[in-house]
Amino acid sequence: MIRSIDLSTDIGDILLTEEQIADKVAELGRRIAADYAGRNLTLVSVLKGSLPFMADLMRQIPLPLRIDLMEVSSYGGAQTESSGLVRIIKDLSASIAEEDVLLVEDIIDTGLTLNYLVRYLRGKNPASLRICTLLDKPARRLVDIPVDYVGFEIPDQFVVGYGLDYGERYRNLRFVGVLRPEVYTEGD
Amino acid sequence: MTEPAASDRAASVGSAPSFAHASEAELARILDFYEVRWAYEPDTFPIGWNLDGDVVESFSPDFYLPDLDLYVELTTLKQKLVRKKNRKLRRLRELYPDVHIKLFYARDFRMLLLKFGRLALSDELTGTTGQATPPRVAVDEAADDPTIAVILAARDADAESATIGSSAPAARSPETAPVAAAALPSGGAAPALRGRRRGRRRRRPAG
Repeated sequence: MIRSIDLSTDIGDILLTEEQIADKVAELGRRIAADYAGRNLTLVSVLKGSLPFMADLMRQIPLPLRIDLMEVSSYGGAQTESSGLVRIIKDLSASIAEEDVLLVEDIIDTGLTLNYLVRYLRGKNPASLRICTLLDKPARRLVDIPVDYVGFEIPDQFVVGYGLDYGERYRNLRFVGVLRPEVYTEGD
Repeated sequence: MTEPAASDRAASVGSAPSFAHASEAELARILDFYEVRWAYEPDTFPIGWNLDGDVVESFSPDFYLPDLDLYVELTTLKQKLVRKKNRKLRRLRELYPDVHIKLFYARDFRMLLLKFGRLALSDELTGTTGQATPPRVAVDEAADDPTIAVILAARDADAESATIGSSAPAARSPETAPVAAAALPSGGAAPALRGRRRGRRRRRPAG
């Protein structure tokens, strides 16, 4: 018998409900569809956190778009210890040269990963490169990069759910919530 | 003092400065990881002068990120102990409004480590326990330069306060030093003879 675990018990406050997220994604989709009508739009999502957002967003954009996925190592990750440098774990599967690229992010906080990705993608000569994020946490910003589409500006709290994880858990929550501090301070 | 060239100040990957605090070394590793160039304490900004026009108080941000034209000051002391640093930062912003600087508090740094799954390092890297090495300025240089001596005294005072949690005065800080800091008008520019655009920069030794 499989024991069920209620991940939501680790959540303090629910910051964004499933309905709020759905409404915002639909709104972003409408804006993006209007801005990119008649253009060659490619949505580039960054695994793994952006996966639910990307899946929902692309279905709200009624344009003949393409999608592509990337994954980059993050600081402290097991894959990165040897090199000490950010590494592309999964690169784009097709050229984005002369394409209008929209980079889809789940959250922007320090801007370090985004800064790296923007430089990397610009090197592939897209016709344009814009950024869309569901969540923006400006209080944490180290590298300021203009973001074209922002779903929600959120306070300086550690959030999980709707793709966002802590220790690879909680990504499957249908809402965005604040992780209880005792969860990440246990055994600290 | 000549102003260091931008390329000279921008050395990061490959160079190994002697960091004053383990948290600074960790932040340098994070910046390296994301290929953000940095320089460690490349500039010193005078922020206080005595009536003779001599610099009596300065501020040396921990990092300069040349590609972002941003200074970063990292303080991992507890929030109640950062008042002095906040005051210095306010002063810097008044005197050098075109200088972009971001202050990372202990909580910010802790959250950064949490984001990268390295929260366990937090206790090692914050507060005075993260004091990896003594302040980098050589003693002989400090002896030659009263400004740096004042900074060292202030750092020592910060560290001692954090360690013993006492209100007893430790080393002399700029506030208690027997020189009158010139009171410049709020928001006024630094006197022309006392600094360039970013004040009289002082190149720190690499090691």
